[in-house]
Parts: sequence; structure tokens; C-alpha cells
Amino acid sequence: MTEILSREWQDDSSVAALARARAAVNGVILDKAEIVDLAFSALLAGGHLLIEDLPGVGKTTLANAMSLAIGGQLQRIQFTNDMLPADILGISVFKRETEEFEFRPGPIFANVVLADEINRATPRTQSALLEAMAEGQITVDGQTLALPQPFFVIATQNPLDLVGTYPLPDSQLDRFLLRTHIGYPSQQEERRLLIEPDRRDLLADMQAELDPGQVQNLIAAAAQLHVSEPVLDYIQALIKATRKHAGLRAGLSPRASLALIQTARAYAFVNQQSFCSPDSVKAVFPALASHRLQPIPETGIASEDVVSEILETTAVP
Amino acid sequence: MTDRTGITHPPLSPLVWTIAAFLIAAAPHLAAMPAALAGIVILLSMWRITSGWFQWSPIPGWLRILITLALIVLVVMAYGGLWGRRFATGLLCVMLAAKSMEMYQARDLRMVASVCFFLIATQFLFNESLPYLVYLAGGCWAATIALIQIQQIPAMQRAHSGAGMQIQRRSLNQAATLLALALPVALALFVLFPRLAQPLWGLPDEMLDGRTGLSDSMSPGAISELFLDDSPAFRAEFDDQPPPYHQRYWRGPVLWRFDGSTWRTTQFANARGRQSVPITESSLHYRIQLEPHERRWLLGLDYPARSSMPESTITVDHQLLSRHPVTTLSQYEVISTPDFVPDAELTQSERLLATYLPPESNPRTRALAGEMRARHPEDRDLIEAILQMFHDEFSYSLSTAPLGRHGADEFLFDLKDGYCEYYASAFAVLMRAVGIPTRVVTGYQGGFWSEAGGYLLVRQSDAHAWNEVWLEGTGWVRVDPTAAVSPLRISQGSRSVIERERALFEFDWMFELRNRYDRVQHLWNQWVLGFDAERQRWMLERLGLPRLGATGIGLLMIATVILIAIPIALWLLREQHRTARSEAEKAWLRLLRHLRRRRFRKRAAETPLEFALRIEPELGSTGAGLVQLALNYNRVHYGPEDPELTRKFIANATAWRSTGTRAKSGNPMT
Repeated sequence: MTEILSREWQDDSSVAALARARAAVNGVILDKAEIVDLAFSALLAGGHLLIEDLPGVGKTTLANAMSLAIGGQLQRIQFTNDMLPADILGISVFKRETEEFEFRPGPIFANVVLADEINRATPRTQSALLEAMAEGQITVDGQTLALPQPFFVIATQNPLDLVGTYPLPDSQLDRFLLRTHIGYPSQQEERRLLIEPDRRDLLADMQAELDPGQVQNLIAAAAQLHVSEPVLDYIQALIKATRKHAGLRAGLSPRASLALIQTARAYAFVNQQSFCSPDSVKAVFPALASHRLQPIPETGIASEDVVSEILETTAVP
Repeated sequence: MTDRTGITHPPLSPLVWTIAAFLIAAAPHLAAMPAALAGIVILLSMWRITSGWFQWSPIPGWLRILITLALIVLVVMAYGGLWGRRFATGLLCVMLAAKSMEMYQARDLRMVASVCFFLIATQFLFNESLPYLVYLAGGCWAATIALIQIQQIPAMQRAHSGAGMQIQRRSLNQAATLLALALPVALALFVLFPRLAQPLWGLPDEMLDGRTGLSDSMSPGAISELFLDDSPAFRAEFDDQPPPYHQRYWRGPVLWRFDGSTWRTTQFANARGRQSVPITESSLHYRIQLEPHERRWLLGLDYPARSSMPESTITVDHQLLSRHPVTTLSQYEVISTPDFVPDAELTQSERLLATYLPPESNPRTRALAGEMRARHPEDRDLIEAILQMFHDEFSYSLSTAPLGRHGADEFLFDLKDGYCEYYASAFAVLMRAVGIPTRVVTGYQGGFWSEAGGYLLVRQSDAHAWNEVWLEGTGWVRVDPTAAVSPLRISQGSRSVIERERALFEFDWMFELRNRYDRVQHLWNQWVLGFDAERQRWMLERLGLPRLGATGIGLLMIATVILIAIPIALWLLREQHRTARSEAEKAWLRLLRHLRRRRFRKRAAETPLEFALRIEPELGSTGAGLVQLALNYNRVHYGPEDPELTRKFIANATAWRSTGTRAKSGNPMT
């Protein structure tokens, strides 16, 4: 890419740190630069990321690598079906000394929360996490507690047809800014995976490249990125196409269009561009839209197919 | 989707649409086909759908050929020859159904769907009425849907899915849009296609199927279905008010020869009349729109004096005859003089023919005639007396009883109940028995006056038969014995009389509805079917165009079609032509145009960068720098405004275009 960020950001240390973090994650997750870019875009757009794929393709590794590279306080929650909301949010304990209840914060109080296999938990527990994601705060015993900033959730989930899963309701899927799949590695990269050191060792060696303050700065910077008239036209055309599409129950909401423009900015920023081009919009649109759209069941078409059809038929201004 | 034999089954939806289009197009033909053939066509179509559903293996090739040959033989046998419209269309239907046996690839489906359009057009050889047009437009729609879905077969196979509801809905809409877009062009072609004075085809040797109408013979008791047939025979438009009911005698075939049971026309009477009917103050001027009936007579009110139909003649007995059988809807003008009394003189042969009775036939009638003659020596008194007898002792009904050798005897003495043909026949026998020249005239009587349409509708059920009696010193005088029996029949039409017999399934509102519908049909006939060379010229003159020959009209047609097609094409291509917002975009669009000339087309949904990345490798050495150019364009088009960079980009783009062209012309081999 020739057009790099404008001068005021070029020398910023946080931009350089972002580039290093990105490189570090790419060093662990082979051949998935697109996915890594999407993950950083979710972070810089101030949203949360859901990774959906079969067990064993590297969901957790990616989430781990991301959370390690971003730095700050890191918590990992392994979801199981006997989990309760208190296991996530925290619990009030009666202290004999003071004869008062004292709140013990749960794992949700962190900058980066890695929520593994989120759809193995019951809906009640899922909703505890998802409420926190939406509000940036939690309410326990009538007390509202703010979560640390930045607050970034990377969740993984198994495909819905696997045994022992509770599908996330539509309204809660919407809390995730992006949903992405990883897919199998290529032949070449799989060979590298086999001969190179264990990914767990690589992860253990990883160090945080960013700190919470830098991430906050980057989020603010990404939100400032220039979006020109033609790109706004393009975004609106895509949103309109989802609303007009006969195979969908409903189109994307205005919240989703706001999310689209933010994520496209973040994606451009991650790629060190000083403006948002239709390429960025195209890159983030499938991950942003496909989990928010429900095709009419009789058509037998997946929402991913509808989304790529819309991308293939919407003219770029 | 591939079975053991390696045949790929097409998705079900395009297959079903193709066969549906075929069946819709073929249905009117099937109805007229021998039942066995129609059954085979339906069976083959159903087999194809079933085998598509269950993915059966196709019929082996040798068996297909065998079946096809057998079908050809069957069709030839069923139609008894290799000639005629029915045979040709029947063969087409059966062969298309046979084609469905090997309909597995997109091109087979496409072929069948395309031929459906032709099959639809062939239906107009048999029926040109408005409901058919609507029905067949539906057929065109189905065939277009089939073609659209056939086009999508590769996509359906890629997606491993059939056609969902959404694809159905979309192709329905697309087909409707396509047909709607084609409509203006079709209209222009219809209006401006150079018309020939004579129709190109029309096979007079073949009778229209099962059409009822007048005939050149009459045997009382044989053809009463005519009176139940409500289809229009013709329509007449009058300049002023139509003539009163009792004057509405529409003259058809005049019957002279009688063999005891059947009345027939005579050849000599078809000669051109020796006496021309004068045109007077009381003459009626009107226009007739005659439905095709495959015979030569044109209908006119008594007595036609002149007609605008080319090559028509008025015969000795005042029939209006066309030179050729009327096979298409014909329009002509007639002038009739109702108060004219023809033929004060009678030739010897005419007198002989008009008084002839087969010897020994109808003895009782002869006796009765002799008896009455003795009481009424005056001709007019005798006629009066017979009519009075009919009035007193006879009744009118549509019930039929076939008559034997002494038909008049049976009717006058036993039956005493019947309709116009019985009366006209019996009356003529009575008259001839005492030597008064009498003939039977058939045709139509009455008609329904459509106030809104300003025309008189005459239906087949208005068919009528009456007599003409030649009186010494006067000439032929019309006598309608049916009027004596049932004055209502003449003053209000046959419907009022036979009301009782049809009341079971006929209601007034239905009658009303039919009359209203006939007005639509009338306009259809007048402006669509009857749109001939004459009307075309009239219309062009109205538009202020001078007299054009066929070539002139043809050129006008081509010019009009182009003029209509341009806006439609522009509308269809509207997405391809965008106006540039900025100088940079203009330069970029120029670059795209340049590449388009070199066969590289940017898809609308491609971003500039994607396009450049896609085609730079294809361009080879001449394409170097295109990706860089696209990145620069991204910067100036989507980035913050920067006049300096914009200027640089425009310069680069122009330079790239010229080097690209130079490199290309310099290296013709690459």
C-alpha cells in the first residue's frame, strides 16, 4: 500500500505498535492475514469479535494471540453448560469481619476477554456476557459497575449443528461487531504448522505490543478516518440491497450501517490507509452482515451466499 | 446431479416451466387433435417431468428414434395425409413432445421453449379472437420464464440448489418486464408492417372446424343447432338509426330446387343479375363486418343495390356473392333499397323452377292447396288465408322432428308445430301446388342493436328462412309465414320465442354480459383483425403522412422501431453510463473506456483496485503500472481532496493510456 497514514499519525508510537502487534499475530496464525485484519478492525472499531468454526482449526489460538498482542488485563473464560452468570460477572461474598457483603469481581473485569466456546453455555449465562458487551458495564445486586476500557471480547463458537450447543439468539448475535470463520490452512501452511514449534510455545513467547492507553488512542484515530461521498453512497447501496433482497427476512438496521462505516474505517486504518476506500467496505461487509441477516428458510440459501451475491451485484461508485 | 449414464439432469424448475409453456401453447391444438394423439403428447410431457423428479435414466437413443418414427407414422395416419394446417400443427405438437424425451441439456430446453413461441403463433391460423390473445400472451409469458430460468441453469447447478421461491418470483417479474418492453416495438411492427391487399394465406379447401352457419341447402328438421349458437355471424354499422325490426331481413342463399324433402340453391341463379336495384331516397347505407364462414355469400339487407367488396356480384335472385370464400374477417359497405320489388317479368325457366314439385309427393298438401284455391281464386287472398290458418292452428317451437318423404304433409297435418324452416318449406309447397312461383330465402332476421356501440349484432341464432312469392304484375313479394305463427319472432327476435326452452341455463344478465362483451369483440375486429391496407393508409393519412408505397411504409416501420428501441435500450443500459463527479473520475472513466475497447471490461461491482489487480496480469507488459494507477485513483477519488495529487493522477492516467496504446501497436504479436 502506497498511501500511508497522514503525517500526524505516521510518527505516532501507537501506530507502530499496532503494526508490530499485527505482525506478531500473523506469526502465530499462518496464512490468515485477512482474518487477523478483521480481528484488529473489530478491536479498533470498538466492537467485539465472534469466531465460528469447527474445533481444532485455530479459533482459540487466534483469540489467544490477539489478546496477548493487545496487552492489558487478559481473562479467559471457558464456557460450559453448567456455568452460571456469577461465574462471569462475579459474586458478593459476606465478610464476617466487616459484616458486609463484598463484591468479588468475576473474569469479565478485564481489557480483553477470551470467551471460549460461548455456545456451550446456557442462554442465561450467555446473556450475562452479552449484556456486559453491549453496555460496557454490569449490574450486580443493584449496583452498577463499569468495566475497564478498552473492553474487547473475542468469543469462539462451534458450528450450531454440533452436539451440546445452545445457539445464540439473533438479538445477541447482533452484539458482535464481526463474525468470521477461519477455515482450513493451505497445504503449504499446514506443512509449516507440522514442522515448526508448537503454537503453544509461540504463544508463551508472545509479549504485549500495545497497552490499553494506546488502544484507546487508536480507536479514537480510526474513528476520524476520512470517508468520501462515493464510499458513503456505496455503503448505503449495500445496506439498501439487503433491505430489498427478496430472499431475506429483513435487511440491515441503521445500527448495522453505523457499524459498517466504523469497521470499514478501522480496517483501512489497520491497513495504514489515510482514507476509507470501497475495498475496505468490501473486505468487512461479509463478516459484518452475514450473522445479522436471516434468509427465508424455504430458499435454502445461506446468508453468506446472499451477502456475496449482494457484493457481486452492487455497483461501486 | 449426474446419474450412472453420465447424463446431467437439469434442475427441475426450468424443466417444468419449459413443459408448462409447451402445454399451454399446445392446449388449443390438443383440443382439436384426435384424442389418442393428444393423450400421447400429454403422456410424454408428464413422463419427462416425472423422470426429472426421480432422476431416471434417459430412454436409450435407438428407442427414442423408434418412438419418434412411430409417432410420425401415427400422425400421418391420424390426419390421413400430409397436408393441411391441422396436420402441420399436430405434427409440431407431437414432435415437440417427443423432443422432451431427450431434453437434458440447456440447449434442448432452450430450443423447445423457443419453438413454443412459434407454436403459439400457429394458433392464430385457427382462431383470432380476443380471449385467445390473452390466453396466448400467458403462454408467451411462461415460455419467457422458461428461457430466463434455462439461462440460470449453470448458476443453479453451481449452488447445488433448485430454484427457490425467490428465483421463481424474480424470473416471473423479469419475464413480465421483458414482454412489457417488447410491447411498444410489437405495436409499431403491427401498425406499420406493410399490409397486403389480400391475405398471405387462407386455405379455402379446408373448412373451419365445426363452425355453424348458413348452408346452401335446407331440410326442415336437420339443423336446429344453428338457433342455439350465439356466436356472431356479422355486425352492421348504420350511418343513422337501424331499420325497424320487420325490415331486417338479411339475405343469404336463395333456394329454388326442391326434391320433396330438401331445398337447394341453383346454379343459374348465381349469374349476375339482369336487373340493377335502384338507389333511392329510402336506401340504407351501412357497413358489414362479416365473420369468416368459408362460403361465398355476403349478407345484405333486402335488396342489395351495391357493395364495396371487390369482385362481388349481385345475382339474379339478389344474393350478394363474393368471388372467393370468406376465410377471414371481411369488412365492406352495402347500399340496400328496402322498398324495391324485383322482377316484374319472369323467364320461362325461372317460372318452371319456381313452380316445380316432385310428382306424387305430399298428396295431402296438394289436396289442401286445391281446396283452398277453390275458395280463394285471388293469389293475395289465398296467401292471406294460408297465413291465417298458420296463425290459428299452428305453434312455434324449436323442437325438431325429422320429416319423411312427404314432409309438408307430415308437418301440416300431424306436427303443426315447428320453426321457420318448416313453415317456409310447407308454405312454398302449398303455393307451388297451385302454380304460384315461390322460392325459399334463407339468411338472418333481426339482430341486437348495441346503442353504445352503434352497430347491429346478428348472431347465428338469428338465422331465418322465409318465402318470396311471385305475383303477376308485381314481382317477387316477401311472405314470412313464421311471422303469422309467431309475430314475436319477427318483432323481437328468436330469443323471445325460445326463451322457455333455454331458460334453464340462460339468464338475462348473462345475455346482457354477452352483448357487452360483443362490443369489445367488435372493436377488436375492427381495429386489430380488420386492420388492413385500407385502414393503414387511412391512419397514416390522419397522421399527416403522404401516400406511401409498401417500401415507404417498410422504411417508416424500421425508423419507428429504431426510435422506440433507443430509449428502451438506454433505459436498460442506464447503469453503464454514469456521469463523472470530478475531473479525476472523468479521467478514470476515459481509462475504462480505453480498456473496454481492448476487451477489458470493468464489472460494476468491482472496485478500481480489484479491477486493476484482475487485468494487469492479462495485459502483460502493456499493463504495467495499472495497479499503481488504481491506487492513486483510490487516493484522489475516495481520499480527502488534494488538487495536487488529482492533477498528477490525471496526467499519469493520460500518459498510461497513450503508452498502453503505443506498446500495443508497437508489438502486434503480444
